[in-house]
Amino acid sequence: MLFLESGGDEPVEIGVLMIGENRYEKFTGLEAGLKDLGYTDNEVHFTVKNAHDDEVLIEKQIDELLEDEPNLIVTLGGIETQRLKAKMDERNIEIPVVFAGLAAPKELGLIKDYKSPGGLFTGINNYHASISGKRLEMLTSLVPAIERVHVIYDSKIDVSKLSLEETRKAAKDLGVAISPCDASSKECLDTLWKTVDDGEAILILPSFRIESLTAEIVKLTEEKKVAAMGLYDFEAKKGLLASYGSSFYSQGYQASRFVSLILQGNKPGELPVELPDGIRFVVNQQTKDSLGVAINQDLLHIAELIHPEVQGGRKR
Amino acid sequence: MIKALWKKRVSRYELNIAGDNERWFTDEMWFQLQTLDRVYGQVEFNQYGQPVMKLAIPFYEGESKKAIGVVVQLQKIIGKISSMRQDHSSYIYLIDDKDRVIAHQDYSKLWQKQTSGSEDELGVTAEIEDLNWVLVMEQPKTTAFAPINRMLQSGIGAVALMILTVSLISVWAGLYFTKPIVSIDREMNNLKQGRKIKPVKMKRTDELGKLADSFNDMSKELLEKSRLLEQEKERLDVVVNGIGAGLALVTKEYRITWMNPILKGWLKEDRLTLPCYAVIGGENAPCLNCPITCPDLDKIADEVMKFKDGANGERIFRHRVFPLNHAIDEEGEFLVVLEDITEQKQLEETMIQTDKLSALGIMASSFAHEVNNPLATINVYAEDLIDRMQADDEDLDEDEMEHYLRKIKENTERCKRITGNLLNFSRKNDWTEDQIRVKEIIENSVSLVEHQLKKQRIQLELHVEEGLPAVNGDGLKLMQVIVNLINNAVDAMESEGRLVVSASERNGDVVSIKVTDSGHGIPAEAMDKLFDPFFTTKPVGKGTGLGLSVCYGIIQQFGGSITIDSKPSEGTTVEIQLPAERLLKAGLDVAQGPIEKDRSIGSHLQARESVVNSENNYERSAQEIMEVGYDVSNKIVSR
Repeated sequence: MLFLESGGDEPVEIGVLMIGENRYEKFTGLEAGLKDLGYTDNEVHFTVKNAHDDEVLIEKQIDELLEDEPNLIVTLGGIETQRLKAKMDERNIEIPVVFAGLAAPKELGLIKDYKSPGGLFTGINNYHASISGKRLEMLTSLVPAIERVHVIYDSKIDVSKLSLEETRKAAKDLGVAISPCDASSKECLDTLWKTVDDGEAILILPSFRIESLTAEIVKLTEEKKVAAMGLYDFEAKKGLLASYGSSFYSQGYQASRFVSLILQGNKPGELPVELPDGIRFVVNQQTKDSLGVAINQDLLHIAELIHPEVQGGRKR
Repeated sequence: MIKALWKKRVSRYELNIAGDNERWFTDEMWFQLQTLDRVYGQVEFNQYGQPVMKLAIPFYEGESKKAIGVVVQLQKIIGKISSMRQDHSSYIYLIDDKDRVIAHQDYSKLWQKQTSGSEDELGVTAEIEDLNWVLVMEQPKTTAFAPINRMLQSGIGAVALMILTVSLISVWAGLYFTKPIVSIDREMNNLKQGRKIKPVKMKRTDELGKLADSFNDMSKELLEKSRLLEQEKERLDVVVNGIGAGLALVTKEYRITWMNPILKGWLKEDRLTLPCYAVIGGENAPCLNCPITCPDLDKIADEVMKFKDGANGERIFRHRVFPLNHAIDEEGEFLVVLEDITEQKQLEETMIQTDKLSALGIMASSFAHEVNNPLATINVYAEDLIDRMQADDEDLDEDEMEHYLRKIKENTERCKRITGNLLNFSRKNDWTEDQIRVKEIIENSVSLVEHQLKKQRIQLELHVEEGLPAVNGDGLKLMQVIVNLINNAVDAMESEGRLVVSASERNGDVVSIKVTDSGHGIPAEAMDKLFDPFFTTKPVGKGTGLGLSVCYGIIQQFGGSITIDSKPSEGTTVEIQLPAERLLKAGLDVAQGPIEKDRSIGSHLQARESVVNSENNYERSAQEIMEVGYDVSNKIVSR
């Protein structure tokens, strides 16, 4: 399957699936990556389907996309990929799919093996499930005074549940007490508002639903003056103390390599699933200052600080 | 086997807690670490399937040697190399120090041993120092050389196109230049062969266009001239065939090259092998004075010829030869023109005869009277003699009888002479060439009109020089002329005039005969018409108008000239000049004195003056002319 042969005047048609607006950064990264690899706008045409966090709408959009029969589909997250695979399996459609970052593809049954995925799916394991334990370690190391960590997960999202498992294991190894909170239920945040106390912190696990709650969580942490660790840099930017994980942009950027390899004739089943090229450790300077807690300076050295202009607590 | 001891571990994905049996260094790396200050491990995969490579650097802490090692992720570099968009079948790959492909666009080639590039491929390599990795960029030669091949092909195509273009231009240019020439040539051939031609149409302003225009003009002009020539030729043909004259072209060798149908009809001979003088004249030698023989003459030869024409009898032709200034080669340089003048000659003869008869009629009463007188004398003598013989007159002796008989004889002879003259004069005769004595002719002429003169009491003076040379010609015709002139003089005087007839020699080669009267002269307006046939100033019934015309014709035949000098109210003098025959001069009767008869009966003169010269120069005899090379154009010679 070679899409970019000489003489092809028609651009390659790439379908893009995203559950919500905040994953748009991945698409931006994808576009930039392809451009850096040497693709021009004339060679590639994107059909972007944005479900605006609507789980019903995305089903419909997947149908539309499959109707169009693009040369390749890029999914921008776990839920998009899972739904797509279900539809493709159901209809026995064979279109190569690159997932631009999702947690635990093997565990979700999207691939057979990381090294040889087999099938039509390959892409980036953003490791956000497996790295959950590491993130707990990073949070507790950054703020050594933390006694308990509230873990927000989504019981309706497989990855989220897997992440909770990982977190539990790490908590055990690290000797940290955790309190899971299921974000799929309305009570979660209410409970947190009531229960969170000094010396406690919040750890966010992957889920598009939790991603959409970011603003509320930020508000909670600010009010309660608790440290919180997110997955994405945008969460830190919005006000969480830190984030540790691969950025949307870099996942999209990295996914462009898979797109290129497939367009140049490789089978998706033969392209090993990659881990993120980089994990960003971001610390919000402003939040850190406003928390007024002791910070592990060694870790702070390797962190990317954002909002440096408000350093010294000039604002709040 | 040496076992390293862990001091600290920092992980990106894992908790910073080492596993129980984790062994970081391989044996090889551990061995190398003893001597090298930097050690690289092999490219391998971690538990997540990522390609990684270990790097360790030894350091000393006090006496103890320690090392720091990192696991370098190669996923990004390998991924980037592999996924780089490549055009034209080229590809980049990376091989490690064990010649394994660790990055390749084609993932199926990963981790395989890479042999050196095949001959079908073109590649560049870049070695990465320390690591002994090699970055290779290869491209199949077919693809690499494709642009060159394409260029060559398009070059060949371009050359072919250029050749084609040049050829087309050549063909076009060829046609551009040759087409007009070909069409001009075609029209030229048409023109040459007399076919209808079309104007060469060419919308061009260059030399060829001008050439075509010139050709069109030229051919138009040529056609116009050809048409004119055709018309001219047709006209000429009509003239040549309808002129009534025979025409022939003759070369310098007297060879006839062409005859018109009329001449062919006359000659009944269209052989062109014989010389012209044989075919036309029936002679054995060229004609005298032929311009062919005498090119210096530069005149037209004119000759009257007679030849037998079978059943129609003898025909008379005037034969003239004209030299041509623009003769066609081999076509003859002379034009011979033959005119049938038989009828003309016959007419002339008839005119002469008519004139003669007219003169005879005028002179008839005179003749009767002239004859009556001697007859009366004879009668008287005869009656007297009879009477005396009947009476037996004794006086009638032999002498007396002889006297009577002699008188009768004299008068009888006189009658005979008169009637002889009359008979002679009235005889119709052809031109008889003879040597004539002018004096005798004058006398005979006078004898015919003597009675007339006497009757009208005209005084006649006759002055004939002694020893006049003879003249060649017909004496009877000369007599007719003189009689005519005397008759005219008598008519002019009517009664009591003076008539002088004289004859003299001029310059030794011309005999001049003058008839002078003292009549009323000739009106000036009539002078131009004097020699016209049927022109007369005499009253009706008195003259035919043929006299002077006939005289002119006869004198022409003599090769002489006739001049009339008239002074109104005083009289007229007519002078005839005839070529003298010198050779015969000695043999002439020179003993005779001038005849002088003064019979002045009266005179009646009319004053009027006018001079007419019918010919300014007198003509000469043929022989004399031959000697001195004079013009012979108006000489008429009978054969």
